Amino acid sequence: MIELKNVSFQYEQGNSKGKIENIDLTIHDGEVVLLCGESGCGKTTLTRLMNGLIPHYYEGTLTGQMIVEGIDVKNVSLYALSGVVGSVFQNPRTQFFTVDTTSEIAFGCENLGIDAEEINSRMEKTVSALKIRDLLNRSLFALSGGEKQKIACASVSAMEPKIFVLDEPSSNLDIESIRELKNVLREWKAQGKTIVIAEHRLYYLMDIADRVLYMTDGHIKENLPIADFRKKTTDELQSLGLRALQSEDFSRMKGAVGATRQLYIRDFEAAYKNASGGRKQKQKVLDIPDLMIPQGSVVGVVGNNGAGKTSFANNLCGLFQTAKGCMSMEGKTYMAGQRMKICYMVMQDVNHQLFTESVLDEILLSLDNADEEKAILEAEKIMESLHISEFREAHPMSLSGGQKQRVAIASAVASGKQIIVFDEPTSGLDYRHMKEVAENLRELSSLGKTLFIVTHDPELIAECCNYFVFIEKGKVLWSDGWNRISRERLQRFFAFEGD
Amino acid sequence: MKPELLLSVDTKQRFSLDPRTKLYMLLIFSIVMIDGKTDGISFWLKPALSLLPFLLLLSGRRRKAAAIYLSVFCVSWITNLFLLDYLGTAAKIIVSLLTQLGMRWFPGAMMGYYLLSTTKVSEFVLAMQRMHIPEAFIIPFSVMFRFFPTISEEAESIGNAMRMRGITGKKFFKNPQAVLEYRIVPFMMSVVTIGNDLSAAALTRGLGNGKKRTSICKIGFHWKDLALMLVVTAVLLVFLFFSGGLK
Amino acid sequence: MDKKKLNAKDFINIGIFTVIYFVMFFITGMMGYIPIFAVIIPLGLGILGGIPFMLFLTKTGKFGAATIMGTLVSVLCFLMGQSWISIPFGIVFGFLADLIFHAGKYKNWKYTVLGYCVFTEWVIGSMLPMWIMRDTFFAAYRNNGGTDEYIDAVMNLTANWMLPVVIVLGVVGAVIGAYLGRAILKKHFVKAGIV
Repeated sequence: MIELKNVSFQYEQGNSKGKIENIDLTIHDGEVVLLCGESGCGKTTLTRLMNGLIPHYYEGTLTGQMIVEGIDVKNVSLYALSGVVGSVFQNPRTQFFTVDTTSEIAFGCENLGIDAEEINSRMEKTVSALKIRDLLNRSLFALSGGEKQKIACASVSAMEPKIFVLDEPSSNLDIESIRELKNVLREWKAQGKTIVIAEHRLYYLMDIADRVLYMTDGHIKENLPIADFRKKTTDELQSLGLRALQSEDFSRMKGAVGATRQLYIRDFEAAYKNASGGRKQKQKVLDIPDLMIPQGSVVGVVGNNGAGKTSFANNLCGLFQTAKGCMSMEGKTYMAGQRMKICYMVMQDVNHQLFTESVLDEILLSLDNADEEKAILEAEKIMESLHISEFREAHPMSLSGGQKQRVAIASAVASGKQIIVFDEPTSGLDYRHMKEVAENLRELSSLGKTLFIVTHDPELIAECCNYFVFIEKGKVLWSDGWNRISRERLQRFFAFEGD
Repeated sequence: MKPELLLSVDTKQRFSLDPRTKLYMLLIFSIVMIDGKTDGISFWLKPALSLLPFLLLLSGRRRKAAAIYLSVFCVSWITNLFLLDYLGTAAKIIVSLLTQLGMRWFPGAMMGYYLLSTTKVSEFVLAMQRMHIPEAFIIPFSVMFRFFPTISEEAESIGNAMRMRGITGKKFFKNPQAVLEYRIVPFMMSVVTIGNDLSAAALTRGLGNGKKRTSICKIGFHWKDLALMLVVTAVLLVFLFFSGGLK
Repeated sequence: MDKKKLNAKDFINIGIFTVIYFVMFFITGMMGYIPIFAVIIPLGLGILGGIPFMLFLTKTGKFGAATIMGTLVSVLCFLMGQSWISIPFGIVFGFLADLIFHAGKYKNWKYTVLGYCVFTEWVIGSMLPMWIMRDTFFAAYRNNGGTDEYIDAVMNLTANWMLPVVIVLGVVGAVIGAYLGRAILKKHFVKAGIV
């Protein structure tokens, strides 16, 4: 059982981001509670209070009492809590401590000093319960995001805690992986565990959660049993800043695909040497002999993780060292190396492409204009259009995720390149921010640029895409604008129900 | 070499050794082979010893590495001892430097490669625990090996971003400090962030309270370990005794 | 969690920064495989290593951190086949650096620079075989009847006075690296709120 009595917390950083105020909350054994709300509402902070990261890892001012399974969180170490509360975090890539799956699953138990025989039996139980036998004894670096997340779940599951706390575990996962995550949660619920889960993507939890807490500005605004929450209409949800509960309805989408100019892609190929078990095979990761894209469209690049979407994006921009194939646009042909001059990618991990110490410098870097005065004027214009002028002098890394992304988009615009690729621009974003991104994309498109958006987000697609490329196993299964067939296909692909 | 140092998964090993044995052999190698003597007992002792990594590499199925090693060593050894005289002064200097590398450093490096490529991180960690090395060294050590592949991934991604934004080597000469900054800063920020996430995930799973960690790995000394250790120790003693000490 | 002594979070950070530092070492080390250029290694390492090291001190400014890093970096070298001599150097110089940092309470800038200079000198341990190599090299060479002019040429390249030169270069590099590190720290990490 988890009890929070009049708890308030503010991070030491002092800018009141993610703070919480006067929270009173009781979570009973076996309950599955969903925490939702817009970015910065405090849901992540709340999870951290339950697993002890606050106050033992994150510093700040804390008042009130937190009692987890009879233990006062303030007075015990993180270690003592680790046997009682298991935590799963947002980023599959950065959670694992060891390098192989088997060691990772045993990691927590080994820390607790459990003897080897017991660990092996627990691992056996966990592996069958979570159905991950095929993932055993593999390198963690070779797994997909979804598989890594399952191992993360297995690792805490083996410690047999009473409570599981998850912080946006589905952020980086595709639909397939989310289904598997859901099965893990189902299993834990069946075992009678208490689950607290902070999330943006709510749909997959609708038949697992018992209660939903909606938070704003550090307060719990609504505390509803699941049946009541499910009654909310899409409009209501959107006004709360939340993502939809039902699958996106594409039936009313129409596309203006009357473009007279086209972009042709030929012979995109990429292969990785796959050294598995001593034999080296070349696995074709990308195999696209022919593809036509109407210029100026906003292209949704869709498919499961591992299907080749990112390879396609990388190849398009000429980022692969061994990128092959050519692209022709407006009469000119571009080979791999030349494509970098006309393509710009806004990467999934925005941190990898912010280099300077102020937003203004960041944009000037892309402008690369010898005339400084002119360059600054242009940069100002771009910053205006993306609502980041107030951050002119701020260090890009000090901004929030959404703000960083706008800076990256600003750099993209400043580069003046005609083709811009976005890799998962809305993963982990709440409704409002997703709308903002969609707005930015639409504006970019109106400037005549061709945009490629690699995404899992059906709401984003509905907001701004007007052409699609569906990739599976490295090949283009189909590509088209909005029409009856494509609508059906997308509807099926993004369907929430029928798990 | 893959960016992963140390093995991560079990491959079928025809000849598995305790990590401590491998360490011991590496130590002996580093003492004996780096020394530069080639006369007297070294003349036949060193090539004999140098066979050891070759055989080990073969047993660990690193055939390509074994072949490269053998050829480099033989060429270096033979050239250094017999062929140098036939070269002019300038060539002599360069060639002799190279052969010295091949003869003295390379065997040790290959021994090290054998160790790194045939030992699982978790085995190595357990070996360190058995050797009573404090947690203060073990935790950073395992984090290091977990991080190597991550670092190359991050560096690659940032490198791509740099190229895309036109921050290339050509600009280096106009503004070297900037390019250095652009290369290192996002990299470090990224690594620090990853480190924070990693710590949170490890701490909430009970890392580091001083209690003794258990392990599901199995390591231990068998007859092959003892035999090998005896052999290399004997080599060391013979070497020291007959060549009058280290130089 | 104990704030004054090293804890698990610190150990993880030490591991991470040791990797970054080692990468810097590897990059400068690549220049040094030609023994003639090996003298530049301490200079390069001091400079390149400054940025991660300064950040490292801010994040993990506790006694023992530098010792552990020095030890682990030298052990890594050993595992890659270099002489075991680097290890005692790593331990000793890491420890000395720790003592100096501690004396300055990890805040005093002069102590920080001095400590980092001392730390950088560990790299001499990995270069020592070069001089050791030299002596036996000539002994063997003379036995095989080499010419004097050749010996003179190589002697000049690896003369005994090289050692102090290398030490001084290490100090120079470390000083540059420390200031560079601090500048970058202020410009980026402090401004971004990461520190």
